[in-house]
Amino acid sequence: MIAEGLVVFLTLFGAILAVTQRNIVRALFGLGVALGGVALAFLLLNCPFVAAMEVLIYIGGITVALAFGVMLSSTGRIEPPEGAGRRALAAVTAVALFVALAVVIWTADFAQPASTVEPDWSVGYLGRFLLDRFNVVFELLSVVLLVAIIGAIAIAARYDSPDPTASEEDES
Amino acid sequence: MTVHGWVFFSLMLFALGLYAVLSRRNLIAILIGIELMLNAASINFIAFNRFVADDAAIGRIIVLFIIGLAAAEVAIALSIVLNVYRQRHEIDAEALDELKG
Repeated sequence: MIAEGLVVFLTLFGAILAVTQRNIVRALFGLGVALGGVALAFLLLNCPFVAAMEVLIYIGGITVALAFGVMLSSTGRIEPPEGAGRRALAAVTAVALFVALAVVIWTADFAQPASTVEPDWSVGYLGRFLLDRFNVVFELLSVVLLVAIIGAIAIAARYDSPDPTASEEDES
Repeated sequence: MTVHGWVFFSLMLFALGLYAVLSRRNLIAILIGIELMLNAASINFIAFNRFVADDAAIGRIIVLFIIGLAAAEVAIALSIVLNVYRQRHEIDAEALDELKG
């Protein structure tokens, strides 16, 4: 119970940091803390393999990629704060969604598992599912990743534009 | 903690992410909010997988797919952000209004 409370506190602390910090690097650090908390939550929920993947891909990959994005797109000036009206509208929307879903969750009665057989938590069981029942999804996801990588390179690549107005704006 | 507790926890994370997406103007800060929302969905899947589902594998596999798709999404989004920065030297979401009616 104490471990769960600590994980929830850590994750929400990181998320609040990520959402409220004006400095984008600090917000990114908060995201890293929140993702670490989510990985710990997965560990508490009996899924160590998914927790390891969360650390590897989210903290090790996505956060680092975002850090590179921050470095490459730095404007070198302090961002002006968003308008109070915009923040208030966003807060009202988020709180409204929270309240609406909280009511639904509070009144929901989640059924307990019907079978009394202890489920298999091993990674080998997971791997058999990936290569058997979810094989098509698994292969499709690899194609999606390939297309995403090629697409990202194609979008971010620097082309020499024949359009004179476009080359005028080019920083080189 | 029961399944209700975990779902409330993920709901808080989701609301924070939604707030970030709606209130921020920096494109990378909006991406951070989207990541928080994706993680909230993952926590939901893992919690229901742990407490409600008969089989312990389906929820974990779906979360692995979510993580993979999130990686692809960030790669595409970052390349778009870099392209926007190269053309206008800022990444303010409010400034991207060419297609506004």
